[in-house]
Amino acid sequence: MTTAPILKIEDLRTYFYSRSKQAFIRSVDGVSLEIAKGETLGVVGESGSGKSVTALSILGLISVGPGVISGKIGFHSDRIQKDLLQDLGDFVKLTTRAGKVMEVTKDVVGWERNTERVMSKVRGKEIAMTFQNPKSSLNPFTSVGKQITEAIRLHTAMKIEREAKERALTWLDRVKIDSPRLRFDNYPYGLSGGMCQRAMIAVALASEPSLLIADEPTTGLDATIQSKIVDLLVELKSELGITTMLISHDISIISRLSESVAVMYGGTVFEYGPAKHILSAGFESKHPYTSALLASIPSAQNIREKGYLPAIEGDVLDTINIPEGCRFYSRCNQVTEKIREKCARQEPDLRQIESGHKVRCWLYFD
Amino acid sequence: MKKYYQISGQISEFSDLPFWKKADVVDLVYVGYGLLIVALVVVSYILGSVNLLPRDPQDIDLQLIMAPPGTAGRLLGTDFMGRDILSRLIVGIQAYFLPGLLAILIALCFGTGFGVLVGYRGEKFDTGITYFTNLVDSFPRLVLILLVIAAFKPDIYYIMLVVGFTNVPVVASLVKGKIQFLKQKNFIEADIALGLPTRIIIFRHILWHHCRSLLIIQATLGMAEAILIETSLSYLGFGVQEPTPSWGNMVQSGANYFMQGKFWPSTAPALAILFTILAFHLLGDGLNNILEDKRST
Amino acid sequence: MKFSAIRPIALVLSRELVITVLLLLGVSFVVFIILFASPGDPFSVLLEGQLSTAEAKAGLRDAMGVPRSWYVQYLAWLAGMLSGNFGTSIRMGLPVLPEVLRVGFSTLILTIGSLIITLLIAVPIALYSALRGTNKISWPLTMSSYVISALPVFWLGYIVIYFFTHKLGLFPIAFGFSSAGQKYRWLYQLLPIFVLGVGNGTISEVIRYLRQEMGRVMAEDYIRTARAKGASVWKHAFKEGLLIPVTEIIASKIPFILGGAVIVEQVFNWPGMGRMAWQAAQDRDYPVIMGIAILAAVFVRMGSLFQRVVYVAVNPRASKE
Repeated sequence: MTTAPILKIEDLRTYFYSRSKQAFIRSVDGVSLEIAKGETLGVVGESGSGKSVTALSILGLISVGPGVISGKIGFHSDRIQKDLLQDLGDFVKLTTRAGKVMEVTKDVVGWERNTERVMSKVRGKEIAMTFQNPKSSLNPFTSVGKQITEAIRLHTAMKIEREAKERALTWLDRVKIDSPRLRFDNYPYGLSGGMCQRAMIAVALASEPSLLIADEPTTGLDATIQSKIVDLLVELKSELGITTMLISHDISIISRLSESVAVMYGGTVFEYGPAKHILSAGFESKHPYTSALLASIPSAQNIREKGYLPAIEGDVLDTINIPEGCRFYSRCNQVTEKIREKCARQEPDLRQIESGHKVRCWLYFD
Repeated sequence: MKKYYQISGQISEFSDLPFWKKADVVDLVYVGYGLLIVALVVVSYILGSVNLLPRDPQDIDLQLIMAPPGTAGRLLGTDFMGRDILSRLIVGIQAYFLPGLLAILIALCFGTGFGVLVGYRGEKFDTGITYFTNLVDSFPRLVLILLVIAAFKPDIYYIMLVVGFTNVPVVASLVKGKIQFLKQKNFIEADIALGLPTRIIIFRHILWHHCRSLLIIQATLGMAEAILIETSLSYLGFGVQEPTPSWGNMVQSGANYFMQGKFWPSTAPALAILFTILAFHLLGDGLNNILEDKRST
Repeated sequence: MKFSAIRPIALVLSRELVITVLLLLGVSFVVFIILFASPGDPFSVLLEGQLSTAEAKAGLRDAMGVPRSWYVQYLAWLAGMLSGNFGTSIRMGLPVLPEVLRVGFSTLILTIGSLIITLLIAVPIALYSALRGTNKISWPLTMSSYVISALPVFWLGYIVIYFFTHKLGLFPIAFGFSSAGQKYRWLYQLLPIFVLGVGNGTISEVIRYLRQEMGRVMAEDYIRTARAKGASVWKHAFKEGLLIPVTEIIASKIPFILGGAVIVEQVFNWPGMGRMAWQAAQDRDYPVIMGIAILAAVFVRMGSLFQRVVYVAVNPRASKE
């Protein structure tokens, strides 16, 4: 990286707590990734891999349980440079045993207050986020247009309602919502799912942030609408060149939009690197999980080659009972005798195997 | 400062702690307190009905007027006529206990009956039930009761009958709402698809599993309401008449002596009302939180 | 609110008005049935009371034919009521409607005043509990409000009177005070409002409901979006979390408060409909008690209507239902 990355997450851990089991739910258990300015990072993973929780942790939107307990989130935009988790250590005390966190003492109220203070300059203005359920994520009592002008008036130089409305109308047009003047006064219930998602994208972009986090922008929409939304995102990307963190379990949209990819599983990043290397069929992606994932995608090629859809054996990782050793060990089909001991006992760390490409797997280090 | 700790060792998928470890301490305290008071009330009711009291509640002793608690063996002191307050309080329970149970019984039985009927079978009756609920809700309870008293007589059982029936639409709405919720989540459809007999679907699945906490709350609230109404009516002079004690008329006749600076004869029954009504409310809250796995904190 | 929104709102509201009328008809019917079922033919008394004395003297009732079926009696009575004739009080010999309206107004003051006090206390506690959860401040406050709410309101009334008169040395003589105490007379008028607002149990219900609703709203997705875009959460949560629940709980607690008013008016000798109802029940003064029951129902439905107006005005979806 020649310039500092806009976002640099180092070893983030966000835990929740199950009262009935008296155990931690380790949703994000050591995530590290970076996003360079102007690039789109695609975060792929199954449900429960911790992708959304990572995004929420960045914006300080976790309000249950212990929440964020360790890590650093370096944010470096043209206007602000800071560690979004600064002073976290003042509020949290961890007790670990054999590398595993067994006890957390946290001043929840104090940390919440601290977060509000730190994030007030960041949310919206610097980092904007869109969410997965567009219909329920918009305020049902306010018109869609007003929700966009709210973002504009809060975060840009346009404070007057009339100016903001004009700008909001241009945004509505840009996200390809028909008859913007009419739609401006519509309420979310009167808009289809696809339109609500477009409106949410407009709300996020209207505040002119340095980083956009899009959490599952196509999930929950009809298949035809999904591709339209992806088209929109591609267009906006070339128009605006905005740095994006795109979260999805749909590999196809990740491949259409991202320069870099991070593959997440069970709360950590398994593989991180350029999308060309990881996702395309020509290069072989390194991590067994990634290759298995790609092989299980329905595509003409896969089916032609194999004749059936190879699924990954075993069950998704239980984030309460995380086993020793590699998280994927029980399901991995590329374990060799040489590394079996290691895979079972010790968790590999994320190490670089070639420029810009990191993997968390014993197959590549000895 | 919140402390979270994890138990060591393997955690199985279904390991669920027993409720006394899982539940919030506050809820356990609420339930404990509530059950304690309920036990006291039931015991007092039994003592009262077989007349097994510390002293005769009607026994006037002019030497011992308004004695403080503890004098001459009167645990809670005496009232303005020298009568033992504790015994009078125990007897006072007779005034509301059975009538209250009657009100609860009517409300719950008819309420669940109608609720299940409308929820399970009759979408067309929905408007009817809503209309009746609103109709009943248009009357302040006490005004309706005064109307009944004017028309008939101030019999506490009649009145509790009325109270019970005015609660029927409330319970019916709650049960109906629950059933609609279950229908929406396709629970009921799944049950039918499994071939379960209607009897089991209704009684075991719907009522026992899903409705029990709301029914328990309605029962506790119902008793609390019954106590409130009975004591209010006795205070107003429509319930039990002197010299038979009721907590309401004890407060009322004792109040005349405030001016003399003697608070106890009126306050003792007021506290009894307070602790008992509070107990029922807390019992309902606590049980709801424990059964529904929620916290009050 | 846009002008284009007014027409559907007006439609919804006219529907609400029709429902209100139907409910009030139902109320009158229930009242009628109760009296009709009572032993001792109160209805003749009632209907007789609706006639002017001259007609009654002329035995007009017999001329109208006896016995009459119940629905004819109901309709006759209803017709009388709709023309403003609620009959004549048995005890006082005065026409019922003006009397009931007079005391009704008095009770209205009591009710609204006590509601203000209840909300002033309950809303801050509920909001604080919802936002900050249970902590060393919110729990004692909530608990003490629950305890005070469970106190029998009549006892509370006596205690308050005692402290006011004895500690402040002011003795009301049926609202005529000693010259020294004249200036405190208005303060004494506030006591029943205070007692009804605090002691009736309304506070604990309001706190419970508001806290639950605000808590539910705070967990909604759109609040998370508002927070994520750096907007004021309060501005977004207010409508669904405070405004609507407050109007809902007010409307639903009006009957409850009116019931408490019956008692409080007794304690303080406040000339309201509660006290008149009590007197009427004692005297078996049917016209009066029925008039009061109906007026009380009217108050309740007005409150309910108000709540529906607010709901429809705030919720853009309501006008489509």
